[in-house]
Amino acid sequence: MLSVLNRGAAAPGALKPWLLLLPLVLFLCAFFLVPLGQVALMSVTEPEFGLGNYAHLTSDSLYLQVFINTFLTALGVALCCLLLGYPLAYLMAQSSPRVAALLMLLVTMSFWTSFLVRTYAWMVLLGNNGPITAALAFLGWNPPPHLLFTRLSSTLAMVHILIPYMVMSLYSVMKRIDPALLRAAESLGARPWSVFRQVYLPLSAPGMVNGATLVFMICLGFYVTPVLLGSPQEQMVAGLIGTQIEEFLDFGQASAMAMVLLASTMIVLTVYHRRFGLDRLWG
Amino acid sequence: MRDPYLQVSGLTKSYGSVQALGGVSLDVEKGEFVTFLGPSGSGKTTTLMIIAGFENATSGSVRVGGRSLSNIPPHARNIGIVFQNYALFPHKTALQNIMFPLDMRGVPAAEAERKARAMLDLVGLSGYGDRWPKDMSGGQQQRIALARALVFEPSLLLLDEPLGALDKNLREQMQIEIKRIQKSLGVTTIFVTHDQSEAMTMSDRIAVFEKGRIDQIGTPQEVYRTPSTPFVARFIGDSNLLPGTVLDPDQGLVRTEHLGLMRLPSRLAAAAGAPVTLMLRPESIHLAGLAAGVSEDAPNRADISVHTVVPYGDSTLLIGRAGGADLRIRLRGPEADGIGSGAALSVLWPASAIHAIPAV
Amino acid sequence: MKLLPKLLGVLVAAFIAAPLFIVVPMSFSTAPSLEFPPPGYWLGYYAAYFTDERWTQPTINSLIIAFGTMALTMLLVTPATFAVVRHRFFGRGLANLMLTMPMAMPHIVLAIGYYSYLGDLRLTQTHLGVIIAHTALSVPVAFLILSANLKGFDRNLERAAMSLGATPLRTFWHVTLPVLRPGFAISALFAFIQSFDETVVAIFISGRESETLPRKMFESIRMQADPVISVVSTLLFAAVALVILAPVVWKAVRKRPNRDCARGGTPAAKDAAPQDVNPCAPSRVQLEA
Ligand SMILES: Nc1ncnc2c1ncn2[C@@H]1O[C@H](COP(=O)(O)OP(=O)(O)O)[C@@H](O)[C@H]1O
Ligand SMILES: [Mg+2]
Repeated sequence: MLSVLNRGAAAPGALKPWLLLLPLVLFLCAFFLVPLGQVALMSVTEPEFGLGNYAHLTSDSLYLQVFINTFLTALGVALCCLLLGYPLAYLMAQSSPRVAALLMLLVTMSFWTSFLVRTYAWMVLLGNNGPITAALAFLGWNPPPHLLFTRLSSTLAMVHILIPYMVMSLYSVMKRIDPALLRAAESLGARPWSVFRQVYLPLSAPGMVNGATLVFMICLGFYVTPVLLGSPQEQMVAGLIGTQIEEFLDFGQASAMAMVLLASTMIVLTVYHRRFGLDRLWG
Repeated sequence: MRDPYLQVSGLTKSYGSVQALGGVSLDVEKGEFVTFLGPSGSGKTTTLMIIAGFENATSGSVRVGGRSLSNIPPHARNIGIVFQNYALFPHKTALQNIMFPLDMRGVPAAEAERKARAMLDLVGLSGYGDRWPKDMSGGQQQRIALARALVFEPSLLLLDEPLGALDKNLREQMQIEIKRIQKSLGVTTIFVTHDQSEAMTMSDRIAVFEKGRIDQIGTPQEVYRTPSTPFVARFIGDSNLLPGTVLDPDQGLVRTEHLGLMRLPSRLAAAAGAPVTLMLRPESIHLAGLAAGVSEDAPNRADISVHTVVPYGDSTLLIGRAGGADLRIRLRGPEADGIGSGAALSVLWPASAIHAIPAV
Repeated sequence: MKLLPKLLGVLVAAFIAAPLFIVVPMSFSTAPSLEFPPPGYWLGYYAAYFTDERWTQPTINSLIIAFGTMALTMLLVTPATFAVVRHRFFGRGLANLMLTMPMAMPHIVLAIGYYSYLGDLRLTQTHLGVIIAHTALSVPVAFLILSANLKGFDRNLERAAMSLGATPLRTFWHVTLPVLRPGFAISALFAFIQSFDETVVAIFISGRESETLPRKMFESIRMQADPVISVVSTLLFAAVALVILAPVVWKAVRKRPNRDCARGGTPAAKDAAPQDVNPCAPSRVQLEA
């Protein structure tokens, strides 16, 4: 630590930074890279050496169905988050600092509340004895529909859980849009809708891309909520991986699926990185 | 001959392929106030950081009181620094900030506090000891930073654009204040600025930086009256620079490209036919007929047609065409009354107002 | 601004708020299963939570593991962050990538890896095993926050300290550390929360002996039996609200311009937006859940 302070002084030596990094790098090698490598290894060695697990993934239409289902769900959740998050972020960006801070407080609070708590809340809301079912029954829907453990319930909960990511991404971009630009557009003869369409929307686009990418990526590997709230007939990848392990102890198949999931996530990240640069994504 | 107090010789500094310093040398006497003046990126800060020990020079040396500093770490150099952003410790009060260097030197707390309070008095902030830096104005933070850099009686005081963040009035006030405190303590001082008027009013001597070198070192008068390069002439004050060739070095005669023949006050060191640049300050040009004691015959005169008139209140700047080039003339007070754009004027200047800058 | 988008925004805010607050009345409900609105109110399930070892033990486990994770993470991340931020060296980009990579991993993938790898090392079902896994997951967040603070740190403060006679060690102790203290605190807090909240990896590796609270909650919701879950949810929600509201209330009470994270008293730092409720929040990016 002592020598950290003197960038220029004495021998600059490329050794010093690596010495400072060494403990963490060793730790991550032992407890991050190696376990990850083990997953890759298991996918081609369990139960026997070869690409059998991957072949199985492509030959069995169940797996393909799950992957498509996961992909579409993630896409839908990202889209819903965008459609719902945009008006809220816009409201925050246009409100007085006090109101904006209040709304930010709410978003932050939701953001920090455990996924499990929020998942549980949706269980209450959508349950057979819950307020939504009651309301539908009151409106004359008889017998009221089964909401829980359907694609709808898990999607709704995921949107609710992930929307803070979207709002924060959008808000951080919108907050930096110079109001003078909007006034300039207006003074140049643009109607309110055109101002929004031609100036505000393009300027807030980076926030939309950031938020959508984040939500999509998190959703791809989502385990807790789909498992707890989703339909057992329409599993998502992470849930299926869990089932493979917990019920069938089929490490090979689970690992192969995990590798495909990992690869998909990496592809999204890489595409994003190529176009926008990764450092922007983590806010 | 006695060694100078601070001796900087042949400093060079490269950052990869960028050369920040290309051989900076200068001597400073004890108690002197020297200003580094130059545009941004000319190497002023780099020189300061090398003197303070935060950067290593690629080559060259720094000596204080005859002792080389090269193997002395920054904390043992006993050099006080005021940074442009003040660098006050945000987690310490004003008084604690000033006491910090005394703490580091093991001065007993009671004595440290007494000295720090004396410094607070000196910078005119007696009642502000318990304030946090963030609760003080820019000017006040500036004074605390100055007090902190002086309380341990440093052998050298370095100030890197300390007034850059202040507005104009406060700036002028602080210029006077810094100068007063520096004088009363007699501390050898290097002051960095890119503001030429600040340099002129405060310094014993000015070192003009350009592209990692010192173009000229001299008193404010010297760098103003006899700049050694066209850059210095342009950077300090307003000037007319007239390219020409030496006609007769013994007679001090030069033929300029645009204004014809010029006579200089003394003989020239250059050979006949050598290129030379003449500098003529706008304020030393007069209207023909008004200037007493200036002979009206050529050389050292021109006929111009004015195309721009800029009133400054206490003076007026006229810009006019003469021989295919612009000539800038500054007239004091009412002299320019009634002169408008398009006026044809006859102007002249004394030989003593012309300074020849040898071509490089 | 037009009314319609405003109204939409308010509706979305309600959509975000409603589920958060619904758990509170549920925790006082007398109903043994999910039912809203509650048929009656009592504190019975609170009593159950605080006395039932099947709930208290996971809570204690989670606290131990989160503190352990926080300590280990900061111990490893602090020197590494100084290296990456303060030095230019061969392999710096690689180091940067490696330190942020765990963040981009779907937790289920790592869960399989830890399940089999830590199993080989006989570390599953132990506190240490969970701490190790959680530390790997906490490193990126802690690193990103600390490095952002360190990048914003004004090096002139250290230069000033040294010019005033402080040795490098004393400079670190008297200036660098205190000025960066808020950054360290936030970084450590994030590491703690990261561990305390982590569910997926814990489900697979924590087992009986070191069962964490999220794992217990997950199992409990899956069995949809235990109404105590609403009590835990309310307590967790209250804890979050407390942590987030405390600084806001504190600021309102003190009525002073907020002190910038770590930048120090530079004139520029003073202008940093004061109304940000939680400037560091978006860095909690995890492919968990
Ligand atoms: N750490 C650095 N790395 C690379 N180049 C630098 C660094 N510090 C200064 N320079 C370069 O050195 C030159 C001189 O800079 P500086 O001494 O800061 O100028 P001044 O203080 O006169 O504005 C500039 O061209 C600048 O870009
Ligand atoms: Mg500078």
